[in-house]
Amino acid sequence: MSLKSKLNRFKPHMNREVEQNPLQTKSEEKAIHQVDIPYEDKWRQNDTSCYHFDESYCFIREVRYPLDYQHGRYSFSQLQTIMNQWNAVSFDHPLSGKGLDSGDLFFFDTETTGLSGGAGNTIFLLGYAYVTETEVIVRQHILPQPGHEIPLYQSFLERINYETLVTYNGKSFDWPQLTTQHTLIKEHVPKLPEFGHFDLYHASRRLWKDQLERVKLSVVETDILGVERVNDIPGYLAPMIYFDFVERKDPEILFGILKHNELDILSLISLYIYISRQILQMDGHTDESIKVARWLDYIGEQEVAVSTYEAVRKSGSNGDRLTASHALAFQKKRQKQFQEALDLWQEIVKHGNSQQRIEASIECAKLHEHQFKDIVSALDYTEKALQEIEKIVSNKKVSKWQEDLERRISRLKRKRNHDG
Amino acid sequence: MKKKSLSDVIKELRMNEQIIHWHEIEPKEARTKALPDEVDSRIQAALKKRGIDRLYTHQYSAFQTVQKGEHIVAVTPTASGKTLCYNLPVLQAIAENNQNRALYLFPTKALAQDQKSELNDIINEMGIDIKSFTYDGDTSPAIRQKVRKAGHIVITNPDMLHSAILPHHTKWVSLFENLKYIVIDELHTYRGVFGSHVANVIRRLKRICQFYGSNPIFICTSATIANPRELAEQLTGHSMRLIDDNGAPSGRKHFVFYNPPIVNQPLNIRKSATVEVNHLAKQFLQNNIQTIVFARSRVRVEIILSHLQELVKKELGSKSIRGYRGGYLPKQRREIEKGLREGSIIGVVSTNALELGVDIGQLQVCVMTGYPGSVASTWQQAGRAGRRHDEALIIMVASSTPIDQYIVQNPDYFFDRSPEYARINPENLIILVDHLKCAAYELPFRTGESFGLLEIDELLEYLVEERVLHQNGDKFYWANQSFPATNISLRSASQENVVIIDQSDVANVTIIGEMDRFSAMTLLHDEAIYLHEGIQYQVEKLDWEHKKAYVRKVDVEYYTDANLAVQLKVLEIDRSVNRKQTAIHYGDVTVNMLPTIFKKIRLTTFENIGSGPIYLPEEELHTSSTWLELREVDEEIGEKALEQLLLGIAHVLQHIVPIHVMCDRQDIHVVSQIKANHTGLPTIFLYDHYPGGIGLAEDVYKRFDDIRAAAVHLISQCLCENGCPSCVGMELDGMNVKQACIDLLKQF
Repeated sequence: MSLKSKLNRFKPHMNREVEQNPLQTKSEEKAIHQVDIPYEDKWRQNDTSCYHFDESYCFIREVRYPLDYQHGRYSFSQLQTIMNQWNAVSFDHPLSGKGLDSGDLFFFDTETTGLSGGAGNTIFLLGYAYVTETEVIVRQHILPQPGHEIPLYQSFLERINYETLVTYNGKSFDWPQLTTQHTLIKEHVPKLPEFGHFDLYHASRRLWKDQLERVKLSVVETDILGVERVNDIPGYLAPMIYFDFVERKDPEILFGILKHNELDILSLISLYIYISRQILQMDGHTDESIKVARWLDYIGEQEVAVSTYEAVRKSGSNGDRLTASHALAFQKKRQKQFQEALDLWQEIVKHGNSQQRIEASIECAKLHEHQFKDIVSALDYTEKALQEIEKIVSNKKVSKWQEDLERRISRLKRKRNHDG
Repeated sequence: MKKKSLSDVIKELRMNEQIIHWHEIEPKEARTKALPDEVDSRIQAALKKRGIDRLYTHQYSAFQTVQKGEHIVAVTPTASGKTLCYNLPVLQAIAENNQNRALYLFPTKALAQDQKSELNDIINEMGIDIKSFTYDGDTSPAIRQKVRKAGHIVITNPDMLHSAILPHHTKWVSLFENLKYIVIDELHTYRGVFGSHVANVIRRLKRICQFYGSNPIFICTSATIANPRELAEQLTGHSMRLIDDNGAPSGRKHFVFYNPPIVNQPLNIRKSATVEVNHLAKQFLQNNIQTIVFARSRVRVEIILSHLQELVKKELGSKSIRGYRGGYLPKQRREIEKGLREGSIIGVVSTNALELGVDIGQLQVCVMTGYPGSVASTWQQAGRAGRRHDEALIIMVASSTPIDQYIVQNPDYFFDRSPEYARINPENLIILVDHLKCAAYELPFRTGESFGLLEIDELLEYLVEERVLHQNGDKFYWANQSFPATNISLRSASQENVVIIDQSDVANVTIIGEMDRFSAMTLLHDEAIYLHEGIQYQVEKLDWEHKKAYVRKVDVEYYTDANLAVQLKVLEIDRSVNRKQTAIHYGDVTVNMLPTIFKKIRLTTFENIGSGPIYLPEEELHTSSTWLELREVDEEIGEKALEQLLLGIAHVLQHIVPIHVMCDRQDIHVVSQIKANHTGLPTIFLYDHYPGGIGLAEDVYKRFDDIRAAAVHLISQCLCENGCPSCVGMELDGMNVKQACIDLLKQF
């Protein structure tokens, strides 16, 4: 029995890969020669040229947009304004463009043949955009079929010379995947350059995680940037469509994916503009201000954090105002401005939400006990905190609070009796 | 009452008339050589601190041979300091050059953990900055990066290598570029299906090493089997040097065969081995003698455990006697291992799970409930008893099965016999193709590239047709969305395990264990009694579709035993031997399995007290088989009688064959048919219980003469008059069954 007929018998026992390509046409071609590029005209008509290297080739598609082109809320010319502003402020931030020019940014997104990372997950599209003084240039390097990686990476690495990558989840997906694929052919192509990296996915999570159901680029795009796509092909179909293209060579179906990737990249530019404007507070107070303030607080930029909190206290919603006051109070306490801190917390004890009321009561109790030596008020606030706690569902954090509070009460009572 | 010592107990046992053989293994002096001068002085100092200033002979030869650049397999009994056979060359290499890397493979996570702590102890004393890490499912993402970049010694298991390391090899560049040694411990466990998978994983590993330009040396260690060198060569694809000059000392060992008394003379039925084991183990435990009891099945473990816990509850408390088997959660196992080492646990009842090198220290007594099924396995289990300088006692209590009876009545057979062969078949098409996919995912294949023994071009083309690979010129690329390693489990035919869920406490439903699909058919069907840590559970519902068994604690006085109906179809005959009246064939068959009913069996008396149906879907299996066909039958033997004779022979073969081809009993099945579907002739099938076969049936075909001779010998040596459960199963009126079976067998 031949191996193949045995294989067919064992088929039911084999681990089968899910059938993906709906159109079954058998590929007769064993190899493609440099001269013979299927559907070359169609490629050309769609802004694509061929890049030859050694015996092999890849496609490069290039599209240009004028700087005043409006993608969602902003035109691309805004980017330079943003960069100027970053260079004008004194504080630092993970997304800061200080020392950079708009042309130094490299907006980058890939399409791959699978979702899980690993050596066999091939990148078939390396897409990027950059901004010049006159226009935005989007370029896409396309793998004609697995095995043409060398021209793909050669052409890509020849052309990139920028300071900082801007991606959406590129830190954990696109860039490691690129590194993996590069490792496989590193003998044959230039080294990977070192980059700075702005990952806008992490920024978006900070700003909109509570607000959006899923912080995917497509959702952020519609809900925040006001971009509307017409006839877009969803990204998850990319692997299936690519394999179909590899088999049939007709790029028609692939153009949809190229367009999808192009729009993703343009959205990266708009998103960077949008997020930067929030961090730089260029639009005054917005819904994001409180998140921005907390972010600045978290990275240790206290001064600008405080001023942002102050702005929220002036113009924010009720909830945001209280959140800002609560955070500010901690700042004041750290700066030993105990009376200001106490004033803020007393306000929160009255108007805050349940968790804020508990935390503020505890803080008031601490201030009274340790700073103002007012044991009676301290006891008062401690008991208030305990009462608030009893109203909520218990969990680990809550029972820890409870324990601490009870210890505080007995200590305060001892002190009171001692003093009295 | 004063506690008796082990030697008191041994003295008493000498009087016991059920003991039919007493074998003493003399103590052995250590044979050592001086530490070679070239060993790094820091390593020398660290070893001296631990009281090691000389090497045992096998450790010495291992070091010297590896230094010469040869691949080795070291065969060592338990507790002979085998870890130094690989740790010494590895540490030496890293001491010489900080860039050098080593990869350790252990069959289980537990063994890997053990090894890491032992290794780190030495490293600390050496005062060299050598980083050794375990890399398994429990390794936190934060540490993973560090392991990949900076780990000198990465300790892992084949499953992790298969699904996490090789597919992501680009993240392990510094390991693969500098890989100097690959250590494979417990080599003998890589046999059958698992071994066939692992051989292919190693082929993938070697491909990756080659890509990064390294050419590592393999250091393997194995328990005693007949073909360690052959197995190591099959697994690694390299020629090997065998190191077997064991120089470790050992104390005196008493190896005793115990045959339970006969309760029914004409039928040659003996008292249950389980009952006798309970009785013997109790005596040791009551005297605080640390004892391990081995039993052959999980059910048997639980039955013995519950008896022993009951028997010694007052004196010791039930926590001091524990069960140990697959299906317990890792945390539970770690706790038991620790308790044994520290002595807080006096007794443990285990399946062969504790045959492996899990560190539980050395115990004083080992009791085996029946013959473990292979010579190698028996010595492994026996090795659990015996501290370096003290006496140890090993008791094998025979059951009524033919092979047990044969072994205890022919002690020379056991003590003189070389242990078994470990077989793997890395060329099993299903396994091979699975790993070809993974390998292609890792790196594209080139036409003419080799992967094992078969020409693989045809297979690659098949995968192109299946749209899994894409051919471009002379290279084959992975061209599929999926991640092939996730669909492939190294451990069993089916990836899907059945999860066992305890819903006794509705507010606190917990998962207590898991079981492979085939075992679940007969052990976790509706109404089955499932024993876990000595507690009885009844299966309330087996949700076959979702692979979940819902159980609830019960207290009943029976256990359950399920029947499996089997159908066979011959697909293709590959090879045949034709004799005068018979024929033996080897080829491919389809097996259909359907569990039918279960019986309830009383715990105390083992009598049948009821039964019920099992409703589960049929399972189908394509596999390899060897079958024995009777072309002409003496007409004087009636059909009914012939059917019984075939059953009798099948019964004997089912016991004999696993011993000759070294596999678990479940790996090869024997089924007799009075009229085989394809010929209408009386036939006995022996088939591999794994899709595609793993070479067991083929081995039976090749070595049938030996197997037939052993079967004839077993029947003629049996003490019964005219057939008993210990040989051909039963007696038949008006016929000398034993002679008839022998006559039939001799025709093949």
